[in-house]
Amino acid sequence: MARPASDVNGPAALRRDPVVTATVVVLWLLLALFVVYPIATLLGRVLFEGGRFSFAGIATVLTDRHQLRAFWNSLLLGSLVGVGGTVLGFLFAFTAARARLPRWLLTAIGAAVLLPLVSPPFTTAIAMIFSFGPRGLVTYELLGLKGVTVYGLASTLSSEIFTYFPIAYLTLRPLLAAIDSNLEGMALSLGASRWRVFRTVTLPLCVPGLANAFLLLFAASLADFATPLILAGNQFPVLPTQAYLQITGMFDLRGGAALSLVLLVPALAVFLLQRYWVSRRFYVTVTGKGAGQTPFDSISPGMRVALLAACALVAAVILYFYALLLYASLVVALGANHTLTLQHYRVIFTEGQKVIFDTLIIAGIAMPLGGLYGIVLGYLVTRKTFAGRRTMEMVSMMNYALPGTIVGIAYLIAFNDPPIELAGTALIIIACYVFRYGPTGIRATVALLQQIDKSLEEASQGLGAGSGTTFRRVTLPLIMPAFFAGLGVVFIRSMTAISATIFLVSISWSLITVKILENMTELSLGPAAAFSVLVVVIVFIVIALIGRVLRAFRAPGAAQVTSMLGG
Amino acid sequence: MGSETIGVHVDRVSKRYTHRVKGEVYAAREVHLDVAPGEFLTLLGPSGCGKTTTLRMIAGFEAPDEGRIRFGGQDVTGLPANQRGIGFVFQNYALFPHLPVAHNVAYGLEVRRVPAAEAASRVAEVLQLVGLAGYEHQFPAQLSGGEQQRVALARAIVIRPRVLLFDEPLSNLDAKLRVQMRTEIRALQRRLAITTVYVTHDQEEAMAVSDRIAVMNQGRVVQEGTAQDLYHRPANEFVATFVGRVNLLPARVVAVHDGGATVECLGTTLRVRAVPPGIRAGEAARLCLRPEAIDVVPIAEGALQATVASHAFLGEKIEYDLRCGEIALHAVRTNAGAGIVMPDGTTVGVRFAEDALALLPGASS
Repeated sequence: MARPASDVNGPAALRRDPVVTATVVVLWLLLALFVVYPIATLLGRVLFEGGRFSFAGIATVLTDRHQLRAFWNSLLLGSLVGVGGTVLGFLFAFTAARARLPRWLLTAIGAAVLLPLVSPPFTTAIAMIFSFGPRGLVTYELLGLKGVTVYGLASTLSSEIFTYFPIAYLTLRPLLAAIDSNLEGMALSLGASRWRVFRTVTLPLCVPGLANAFLLLFAASLADFATPLILAGNQFPVLPTQAYLQITGMFDLRGGAALSLVLLVPALAVFLLQRYWVSRRFYVTVTGKGAGQTPFDSISPGMRVALLAACALVAAVILYFYALLLYASLVVALGANHTLTLQHYRVIFTEGQKVIFDTLIIAGIAMPLGGLYGIVLGYLVTRKTFAGRRTMEMVSMMNYALPGTIVGIAYLIAFNDPPIELAGTALIIIACYVFRYGPTGIRATVALLQQIDKSLEEASQGLGAGSGTTFRRVTLPLIMPAFFAGLGVVFIRSMTAISATIFLVSISWSLITVKILENMTELSLGPAAAFSVLVVVIVFIVIALIGRVLRAFRAPGAAQVTSMLGG
Repeated sequence: MGSETIGVHVDRVSKRYTHRVKGEVYAAREVHLDVAPGEFLTLLGPSGCGKTTTLRMIAGFEAPDEGRIRFGGQDVTGLPANQRGIGFVFQNYALFPHLPVAHNVAYGLEVRRVPAAEAASRVAEVLQLVGLAGYEHQFPAQLSGGEQQRVALARAIVIRPRVLLFDEPLSNLDAKLRVQMRTEIRALQRRLAITTVYVTHDQEEAMAVSDRIAVMNQGRVVQEGTAQDLYHRPANEFVATFVGRVNLLPARVVAVHDGGATVECLGTTLRVRAVPPGIRAGEAARLCLRPEAIDVVPIAEGALQATVASHAFLGEKIEYDLRCGEIALHAVRTNAGAGIVMPDGTTVGVRFAEDALALLPGASS
């Protein structure tokens, strides 16, 4: 039936709803202050000189050979990480979806893949140095090589691939699971070999997913700050680290800002490509429900073993990295003195106590705010009609889509001086986290609401409930999973992120991740390892708790949040 | 159960919307309906005819652009759905997935602040009524389609609505269950005597449940009446072809007289009782001939001769495609026993039950 576009919640009805109007106004004020204003200030600072529009700031960057190299390096690194990570992610996703694995093995793969996603960003980087550095376990102890340099493209690349391939896995797995296995069965029944089926049916159906995974990984690598800072060294400068060094090393705020803006161009291109090109080319609709299970073996027994072996190898490397990190935190000095000690933990719980509390307080405050922000904004933009609804959704996604370096520098510039002076407070860090990671909750809320038919709300209304009661008794319980998912992501990122907030920490408020970086540069690797282990443990506890809460909400038939990581 | 029984009056209601290509389109156009207290009225029509829009305006989910809607003497046009006292059964049932059956059903009572004890007994009573006693703690996802349908029905009637509204409630059920549920809905409505408006595109379903049917097409009500009125005296070609199957044959009106007309059709003269106003002698008209009104007999017994082009044996009935000169005739015969099927190619006699004929004005297109 053709239904008119307007409905009971139409514009006319809304204008009379003061609660909604007030909420929309408050959200716009917050978005203006914490999203639009900082970015505008950043643009103004770089593109205007003495009140005049000027490209001089950008031109300086583009003509400086060293900076230009950093730009190309960033693109190269991003592309390579994109390709490598997509291949690895596809390997895992395909194995998980097609190799008929027993349940425990799937769980094991899921856990191994989850590990890099919830760790502080440089855990693999640290493990790389422990393994392949001048006194690394592999290079020095095992192979007896001397004078090896770990720094450069190779180590940065492999470290980033191991860190980010789970994103590709999470994108591709549901896609592979949703491909109707009857399609493959049909091709097989028409006489195609398994390899031919894979090549002519399975792979083509995955192409949009692969492109999507590549773009996500490219963007993640482009924005990655911690890994190159530790591993890239002088030989392989990339944009985010150059921007950071420009600001902290040379106290050149404007130059750093200009560098970060150069980063904006590829980041924006990727975002637009992903959102408006790739996303429209999916053949397979991922509904969250798995398609009927494969009625035949789509891969041969030999291939199954090969796939499993490959996955096991990768998983073993990841586990080795984390075991090494744990070991390094428990010995006096890895590579020199392997006596077991709790010294490093003593250090972090005494000298590092303040930074641990700071981080927990900030994460603890950002968490509920981010969760609330996510469901309120997500609900408004999907279920209510008001002027600027689409714009609000887009603006809310900005800090999420931009590389952290840009957001961090923008906040630094915007809130350093009056009229809004927030530098040195906890508030600036909290705001950064809420508006940068809250959008995961928005996405989850929107996705959940799209699964919930509008007739549910109409049914409640038809039974005599007003819009307040309907929201409280019907809508809210159904979107609670999104609230907790958003909450979880904000907490995890508050514990592990660094790219934006490294510009925002102060003597009064600092973060564990920043402290780890300081330790790394001071070469106190033991405490750095201990801090990393602590963060991983805290994050895993929180994930387990939230997982439990989510399960409690999983009433039969209720819509579910498929992933709480979101990106 | 029901409190006061009231009628529903839809007074020349229109609803427009803007279509991306076609511009301004009427979803409903000057729809006028009077539903008597306790009556079961069905809105019947093809998809896009405006029946659901009309129903949603009666419910208060959408506001009309023109016209008024009254419940009894009360003008409810500006009243939101939650203040109209309606029971609405959705096509997809719209059961709250996070609430068990008892809470789904009790929802409307809780909103109305009915005391807990009374609510519990009313929920138990209504679940008994729809045959779902013992399902109180099940979640909607654990129920079959038919059971979900009953919960939706229970939830709508437990609040003792002034008006009960159904939006294609059976379209998600399989054929057998559909027949069973429509019988139950009809019986329940009779028992509770709640004024009911029911939307469907299935003419058989409409005829089975309704006191009266309003056929809609392109936003307008094109004919209202009992199932028999619509079937035997269609007002226009749309109704004739939409309600049941029909052979529309070119005819010439020879004479109009009291209680009928004489027409020439297929080379014979026939008397037709169902004649719409405005038919005049000497004009071209169309004769509605229902397939079951065509008797297929041996040549000698027929008024006309025809050839069997093809036939299908369907068990309880036999369908024939006949050729009568240039004209194709579709006939359906009840199976009266073995050996009566006429094979393809046979020349047969046909004759018409004159009681079953109806006339439509205008030449055939």
